[in-house]
Amino acid sequence: MGPAVSRNLKRRFAQALDVPPNVVLDQAEIHILGDGEVQISNHKGLVQYTTAMVKLRSVEGFIEVSGSELEIAAFSAQEIKIRGRIRQVVLR
Amino acid sequence: MSPFLWLWWRGYVTVCLRGAGIERVLNSAAQAGVAVLKVERLTSDVVLARMAAQDFRRLRPLIREWMNGPRVSVSILDRHGLPFLLRRFRRRAFLALGLGLAALAVIYLSSFVWFIQVFGNETLAVEVIKAAVEKTGLRAGVPRGAVDARRIEQQLLEDLPQLTWVQLRNQGIKVEIHVREREAPELAAQGAGHIYAKRDGLVTELLVLRGTAQVREGDTVRRDELLISGMYYDPQGRRQFGAAQGIVKARVWYQAVGEASLVRWQPEKTGVRHRQYILTVGPLSIPLGRSYPRENHLITTRNWQLYLGRAMAPVSWSRLDYEEVEWVLVPVARWEAEKAAYELAWESLIRQGVDRESVVAETKAVEYVTDGEGIRVTLQVEVLEDIGHFSGQ
Repeated sequence: MGPAVSRNLKRRFAQALDVPPNVVLDQAEIHILGDGEVQISNHKGLVQYTTAMVKLRSVEGFIEVSGSELEIAAFSAQEIKIRGRIRQVVLR
Repeated sequence: MSPFLWLWWRGYVTVCLRGAGIERVLNSAAQAGVAVLKVERLTSDVVLARMAAQDFRRLRPLIREWMNGPRVSVSILDRHGLPFLLRRFRRRAFLALGLGLAALAVIYLSSFVWFIQVFGNETLAVEVIKAAVEKTGLRAGVPRGAVDARRIEQQLLEDLPQLTWVQLRNQGIKVEIHVREREAPELAAQGAGHIYAKRDGLVTELLVLRGTAQVREGDTVRRDELLISGMYYDPQGRRQFGAAQGIVKARVWYQAVGEASLVRWQPEKTGVRHRQYILTVGPLSIPLGRSYPRENHLITTRNWQLYLGRAMAPVSWSRLDYEEVEWVLVPVARWEAEKAAYELAWESLIRQGVDRESVVAETKAVEYVTDGEGIRVTLQVEVLEDIGHFSGQ
């Protein structure tokens, strides 16, 4: 069974049991607070960090937070908190 | 408790990561269970990060790996937090003891009243109010808990009948006394009397409400001359003597002289600077460093006041910057000196009771004083005013 099929099954399972999909599918959860803070849980690692962009790996692909004067306020295996002037958050 | 405060409590290090692929280093630290806070990128290959001191010890084996693998160098830039602070104090036990004692002294001293300020008084002198306050038992040095605001307010109202309202506001070590004075009572009804001229003038307008006019419009009158007599005949033809009432407007002349120098002493900085600190604890001022004479130094003062929450603690710190100066004599422009003399003359006129707005004509004479180092302005103004002054019998 390929990973796409497996994910599809998990999604159906989550829908059937009314379980939050991010728990079953290991999806990243993104919280944006105004234009000053982004908090991402369940990331799969830091790929790139500059003051203009923070790129993270997730189950679905990459998450790119771009802006200016970016700073990683907190970083752990599960969570990252990014502060600065946030311009956009892109999922690739 | 915020994560950063928790980190401070545990003690943390600021780590400088230098090299390419710092992201991989941060990932492997996170995988090892180390939380990294406040990561800042300084340049393309330098990143600063903060982590708990204990976590940094756990990372040591990984650091060796990084040095070989992604070629990232790791160094500790600084150590912060409570454990490091305590370690520093352990080496300086007396400093810690001194700081502890100072803190205790500040807390102890802040339980007393050190300053009493009076607000809202207009005619009643501050000294009079403060003397009455002292009689109530409130003075610098009494415990804050012993200040019974209601009793003091009541006693002040009894002791000072000029006051209609008193409120004590306790502001930490300062007690503010806000007062309101009684309005001046209205003058008692006038008895019989005449209206006299209070100064020389040329009568321009005369309005008699009660009494008999003794002058006419166009008359020149001298000071203390009778203008309106209180004697008059009522409609029945009977002779009466009452309080004269009326308005006597006249052109009045005032003169004043103002002088200003054509040279001025001006300070020129020599470039020599000194600094002095003053520690003030309650009424005690402790200067740290010598002071310099004010005659040949310009002094700039900066104050720092210690606050305990909203309350002002009786400890302040002042910094005095002395700049040595030499006084040199410089000439003053003629127009500038003339303007200064003119303003001085006007100040003198205002002291004589002239209202600047009511001036109808003004003449100015300018001359040099005999020694040639000054200028004199003689100002003569004409004012239209009521010169009548009632005098009872």
